[in-house]
Amino acid sequence: MTSEELVIETRGLTKSFGGFQALRGLDLAVGRGQIHGFLGPNGAGKSTALRILLGLIASDGGTARVLGGDPWRDVVELHRRLAYVPGDVALWPGMTGGEAIDLLGALRGSANQARRAELIERFELDPTKRGRQYSTGNRQKVALVSAFSSDVELFVLDEPTSGLDPLMEHVFQEVVGEARERGATVLLSSHILAEVESLADRLSIIRRGRIVETGTLEDLRHQTRTEIHATLARPLDHRARDLLADVHLEGHRLSATVASDRVGEAMDLLAPYGIEGLTVAPPSLASLFLRYYDSDAEEGSPARPDPAQPAPARPAPAQSSPAHGAPEPHGVPEPRSTPWSDAGREA
Amino acid sequence: MSTLTGTGRLLRHLIRRDGRHFLPWIALATALPVSSVIVYPQIFPTEQDRATLAATIGGNPALGLIFGPARDLGTVDGFNAWRCLALGGLLAALGAIFAVTRATRAQEDTGRAELLASGAVGRSSSLAAAVVLALAGSLVLGAVAGTGTVLAGGGAHASILLGAGFAATGWLCAGIAAVAAQLGSTARAANSIAVAAFGLMFLLRGVLYSLEAPEWTTWANPLGWVAETQPATLDRWWPLAPVLALALVLVAVAFVLRGRRDYGVGFIAIRPGRARGRIRGSWGLILRLNRGPIVTWTISFIAVGAILGHFAASVHDILDSNAAVQQILAAGATTPVGLVEEFLVTIMSMIGILASIPGVQTMMKMRTEEAEGRLELLTTSGATRPRYFAGNALLALAAPSAYMMIGGTLVAGFAASADIGVGFRDAVLQAAATVPAVWTVVALAVAVTGLRPGVGILAWAGVLISFTLTILGPTFELDDAAMAVSPFWHVPRVTAESPDLTGLLWVAGVTLVLLAAGAVGFRRRDLGR
Repeated sequence: MTSEELVIETRGLTKSFGGFQALRGLDLAVGRGQIHGFLGPNGAGKSTALRILLGLIASDGGTARVLGGDPWRDVVELHRRLAYVPGDVALWPGMTGGEAIDLLGALRGSANQARRAELIERFELDPTKRGRQYSTGNRQKVALVSAFSSDVELFVLDEPTSGLDPLMEHVFQEVVGEARERGATVLLSSHILAEVESLADRLSIIRRGRIVETGTLEDLRHQTRTEIHATLARPLDHRARDLLADVHLEGHRLSATVASDRVGEAMDLLAPYGIEGLTVAPPSLASLFLRYYDSDAEEGSPARPDPAQPAPARPAPAQSSPAHGAPEPHGVPEPRSTPWSDAGREA
Repeated sequence: MSTLTGTGRLLRHLIRRDGRHFLPWIALATALPVSSVIVYPQIFPTEQDRATLAATIGGNPALGLIFGPARDLGTVDGFNAWRCLALGGLLAALGAIFAVTRATRAQEDTGRAELLASGAVGRSSSLAAAVVLALAGSLVLGAVAGTGTVLAGGGAHASILLGAGFAATGWLCAGIAAVAAQLGSTARAANSIAVAAFGLMFLLRGVLYSLEAPEWTTWANPLGWVAETQPATLDRWWPLAPVLALALVLVAVAFVLRGRRDYGVGFIAIRPGRARGRIRGSWGLILRLNRGPIVTWTISFIAVGAILGHFAASVHDILDSNAAVQQILAAGATTPVGLVEEFLVTIMSMIGILASIPGVQTMMKMRTEEAEGRLELLTTSGATRPRYFAGNALLALAAPSAYMMIGGTLVAGFAASADIGVGFRDAVLQAAATVPAVWTVVALAVAVTGLRPGVGILAWAGVLISFTLTILGPTFELDDAAMAVSPFWHVPRVTAESPDLTGLLWVAGVTLVLLAAGAVGFRRRDLGR
């Protein structure tokens, strides 16, 4: 991918707050027209990275390019070409949502009035209420309507749906999809894995201030293990254990995992035992993330895919086909104290 | 289930959660009379001192606006009653109003009350618990203040009656706030209604006393009833009876209203606002956000100008009754005209220091915008940092200049009409000459918010230093080097034959450096939230 096609590109970005190193050499690349999921545990540096890209804070080292410009020096020109939705939207207590939408739109200078009206309708937002009357979700809707009614090239979304109900979450996904159809690029930081799974073309996972993994969801899935649940006519003997891991046998019922590129071999292996029932589930996002978030070793991140290998512009939607049937856990994995209470604060 | 089921449980919960909010009000309302009875004998040890005090203060209608009539300043209890009855009542009133609103309307606003309301509690029980909390809090406030004053050396009867006056005012306002919580649809609206009702009564009492209006006007005002207990002079308890009766009537009205409204809404519905905005840029937004303060400060400075103007007009009476001044004049150290001019400079400096407060406030508001994350929304939408900062700084400098000139012009008008030896034009010029010093104080706040918003409290340093040095400094007999730290020390006396303007140049130089530092800092630093 050449640099002209990259809407966002950072190299070796560093930033410290006092003694705390929030970013330790962040390399992030987002191509034009992509919806790029940006994931990582709390405190990993997601918001810090976004705030540098938005020109709100200056980096200590490394380079950052946004829409071909320097986010710190060319800040004003860039802000007219992008829209930002923070996770915790603060509105002016005495101003109505409609007034806030129009103020932000006027500053950006590209508000599309027809789309503004349509989005207010779809998000079921009452624009005559004042900032102090809105709930968290409604404040987010104000920021979303303001952002997506603008004709901008880049949307930077920092956990934009944490307060939305499932119905509005669905509207949000539609709206993001439409923005992509208009050719916009979206950088989406989110904890809602189902959202990332259904929207993102590519993912970058950040941990302790570095990108530890980047690629399509398929790329990531291939590096992890597929779950197999089978009911067998005859019990399994030891021979099979070389290929399978995490084997759990309960009478005739087997659950185990297999490397994703060796699923076929596993089927061959199980067939002689008389398969009476079978589900094969690709690794869930939740288990993928727990794997990345959970690794304790500083440098012990999983092997990265070849960065030179170009990603398909629009991969097949990454989801478990109905044939596999295993219910896939959606949403945020159950918080476990260690991986989620990662180093320090999210600035 | 009765409408009051579960009140006891709610009350225990409230006391645990909100009880501590009463502590600052109790502490202030106690410190006020305790400090009076301790300090009075030291500052006014002799009969003659006390007579002078009674003459100067008794004749000053401006002070009467706040404190009411001075009935007997010759005794410690009389002085205490004059100084504390109205102010202590104000503290109890605010404590009670905020307690009731916090436990009723604010709970409905945040939806927290929903959790409780859906449990086994009656519809009116949260109101009942809130009222009981406010009544008990006011009672404790009055008891602690009264007892503390007695222990500090106040007369038993007068001090306890004074404390009872505080408590009664608190009860009255608990009733007002209980009604207001049914009328307003948000905590803010409820607080505004209650505080406005109390403020109106408070102002009317002061104004009517100062104007020596007919006696019935006092009795038409519930706060007048509290004042008419006249601790230390008449020591009457009975005027408190109608206050308590009115408080109970108000509480009863609140319960009737509560029974007739739905959860979460008040009788005064929130008007829907505009669906479309007219503000198109950051300067428009800054004006809009500061609109409320601009209106209230303008009114305040009209009042300040009128009060100080009145004060200036009676300067001869004040000087004549001051023995120390008479001695200085007799010794030929200065002339009466010189004294009056000096006095005018001081009054203008006072207005200037007051006027710098709204300027600092504007910058602190910008700091709040940043800290609460609204600035980040604005700048990432295309508002530029220099323009946003300049807009705030400009307003922070311009509004105080206008306030200074409003107050100064009013003082000039009063002074000129009273024929005290100062012309209108000179007085207005003196006000204008004070403006650059105001700018310096505000510029410090501009520099702090631009460079290091984390130490926002430093933004107030200019106000504090100016007040300490310029208003209190002369009585501490500080030397000029220390006094010169205050920008107001450099304000020239325009009536002098050849006014010395070098001070103004210094002040202007410092101001420019501070403004530039703030602007550059704001451009370069990280925006926080």
